[in-house]
Amino acid sequence: MRRRRVDPAAGARAGALPEAIAALSRSLPSGPRPEIFRRAKFDRPEATSALWQLLFRVLSPLPAGNALASIALEVQARLVKSALCSQGYPRLALAQLPEDGSQGSRELLLALSWLLARGPVPEQMLAQTRVPLGDEMTVCQCEALASLVPPAPHMEAEGPVDVRHVQWLMGKLRFRWRQLVSSQQEQCALLSKLLRTLERESRRLEAVLAWRRAEPVFWQWMDTVLGTCAPEAPAAASQPTFLPWVPECGDGELELVVRELQTLEEELREAVERRRVAWEAKARGCGRGPEWSAARRASRETVEKELGALQRCWEQESGPAPAHGPHRLVRREDGAAGDRDLRAAELIRTLRSQEACLEAVLRQLQGQCRQELARLAGALPGLIWILPPGR
Amino acid sequence: MSIVTVQLGQCGNQIGFEVFDALLSDSHSSQGLCCKRENEAYQASCKERFFSEEENGVPIARAVLVDMEPKVINQTLSKAAQSGRWKYGQHACFCQKQGSGNNWAYGYSVHGPRHEESIMNLIRKEVEKCDSVSGFFIIMSMAGGTGSGIGAFVTQNLQDQYSNSLKMNQIIWPYGTGEVIVQNYNSILTLSHLYRSSDALLVHENDAVHKICAKLMNIKQISFSDINQVLAHQLGSVFQPTYSAESSFHYRRNPLGDLMEHLVPHPEFKMLSIRNVPHMSENSLAYSTFTWAGLLKHLRQMLISNAKMEEGIDWHVRPPLSGPPSLSKMSLNKDLHFNTSIANLVILRGKDVQSADVGKKFRAYIHQYTKFGIEEEDFLDSFTSLEQVVASYCNL
Repeated sequence: MRRRRVDPAAGARAGALPEAIAALSRSLPSGPRPEIFRRAKFDRPEATSALWQLLFRVLSPLPAGNALASIALEVQARLVKSALCSQGYPRLALAQLPEDGSQGSRELLLALSWLLARGPVPEQMLAQTRVPLGDEMTVCQCEALASLVPPAPHMEAEGPVDVRHVQWLMGKLRFRWRQLVSSQQEQCALLSKLLRTLERESRRLEAVLAWRRAEPVFWQWMDTVLGTCAPEAPAAASQPTFLPWVPECGDGELELVVRELQTLEEELREAVERRRVAWEAKARGCGRGPEWSAARRASRETVEKELGALQRCWEQESGPAPAHGPHRLVRREDGAAGDRDLRAAELIRTLRSQEACLEAVLRQLQGQCRQELARLAGALPGLIWILPPGR
Repeated sequence: MSIVTVQLGQCGNQIGFEVFDALLSDSHSSQGLCCKRENEAYQASCKERFFSEEENGVPIARAVLVDMEPKVINQTLSKAAQSGRWKYGQHACFCQKQGSGNNWAYGYSVHGPRHEESIMNLIRKEVEKCDSVSGFFIIMSMAGGTGSGIGAFVTQNLQDQYSNSLKMNQIIWPYGTGEVIVQNYNSILTLSHLYRSSDALLVHENDAVHKICAKLMNIKQISFSDINQVLAHQLGSVFQPTYSAESSFHYRRNPLGDLMEHLVPHPEFKMLSIRNVPHMSENSLAYSTFTWAGLLKHLRQMLISNAKMEEGIDWHVRPPLSGPPSLSKMSLNKDLHFNTSIANLVILRGKDVQSADVGKKFRAYIHQYTKFGIEEEDFLDSFTSLEQVVASYCNL
């Protein structure tokens, strides 16, 4: 294991080491107490299980949850060993450690610092447990959805209007209103919970910053830990580090897949044709009259429009694929954008146009409701409408 | 969203215990056919509604227990704690040392106001523990003394203090051959008060449930605990999480809101009843097979003929009247539930109102009520409001 070069003047201050280790333990999730680190330097057995658990937490691919805590120590140790092996950890001694947590804390400390040297572990852990703040939005630039036409209103047959039906609708409205009130109360409660979680996360962020500042001290200390270890046997090079096995797939398999997809497409096309014929036969038999054919024409036009838009989406070869899916809000100073990134201005434009569409639809629907209400009111001459107070 | 349950009186507390027990054991049942992730989502949804989580993982029921005697409450608390799987909160109960002698007026006019603050405090604490409250579920009997009088009072208070929350009262209709002589009077007072302050009244009839126990479940010595378990089974089926119609990826969050919006939007029609198929003892479960079509057919028959069980249906029926549309919901349990607001109770209601009028013993018992502030006018008011309800249902 090569020694990391550090600036010897950096850690000259006394007390810098405990601060550095404290920052490290605060910045890691469920980090062990700084005392554990010190004991591990002297290979004390009581520090072993805490370090196994920390390594497991760092190396485990699953997000944290209650399920993780209930895994036995032996299982955790085995997982840690195999994970380190697959990442190419060079020291043999770790693989030979007993899995019951009885010894080997110094080896584990070395493994931890190897991981810390390889990549930004605290930052990765932070990203894993990030509090979802609602700064994400899903973007869908497919044309198909932007051209949705609201369905034609369902006109009821003219007939005697029952007061009770109106009362029934009013009751429904009242219940919806009350549900709205209680969900707003829920929103307040959840917001305060969110604030508390955010505070915890900012404390961890501060810890990571402190750790980065104090890092050189830690590496000096790790040098001393490495120095107290027995030198590794030179047979280390003969142990192959095994990497995860990626199966090779040859061209022949790809041809097979293409052929299978083609046959599937043929089958689907035939099935669609059969269904369409059957449906048309059925549809021709039912429904006559001018309104029916008008409605049918309208729905056919909508479907054709949507289908055309979908086809255009699929066949678009040139240009970047339209953005789709969740995107996160990130502030960039340099103004450079990756090819999957979208600029906020574009998104705002898209959102504004969608908003305008939806508002138009809302106004249309409100107009229809008003017409319906006017019709109902006209049908019952003796009926007085009393609006609810305060609105 | 969570439901806060208020258990009132002996009846309410015993039933409440069975309900929570049934809910929890169902959500942890190992007989399900779904994948693990599905089961966990179901359990989480059920737990969030009815239980709050404690440090050591034992769920605590979101319930307030109220009774005037300590005996039933202590029994209920200990039964829950003994099960080991869930328990009631330590300070969630309120009881006094003496009973109210089955006197509705005493419960309503004396006990209620005297202990109003303590009871409402308990309820408020439960509400604050929830992230969001879907509403209140109040379990009480209709004809007893404590449950009914205090129940009416508490519901009124809830209406005042939590006017935006939904309230469903579950009331137990007493046996026709009553245990308590004044139960008719109690029933009338309870019903009329509850009709004003509650959003929905879910009625269970002791007679009907007794018959279910006897005929369908083959229980020889029917105890109250058996009856309560059947009741709890029915209630649990209604309250367990259900999928929404639009997306089957998550469970609907507002059980009371959904129920009420579809079933009782009209302010005049608030009575609900439950019909549940199938009912059978656990032993015969292994020997039975079901199909959806068969179960649905049974339910339709029960609905049309106004029967409460799928056996012994009396087919001398009038053709069904048209009424406001009622919607049925599919739940993930084996049982399909059909809640209706069609007035199957009109017949019973009419009977009660008339018999109380005709009884000459009315004068003899009324002094019990006037002693505590319920005057004759109050009785007359209750009669008239209930007759209005009966008339509205008859006009459906």
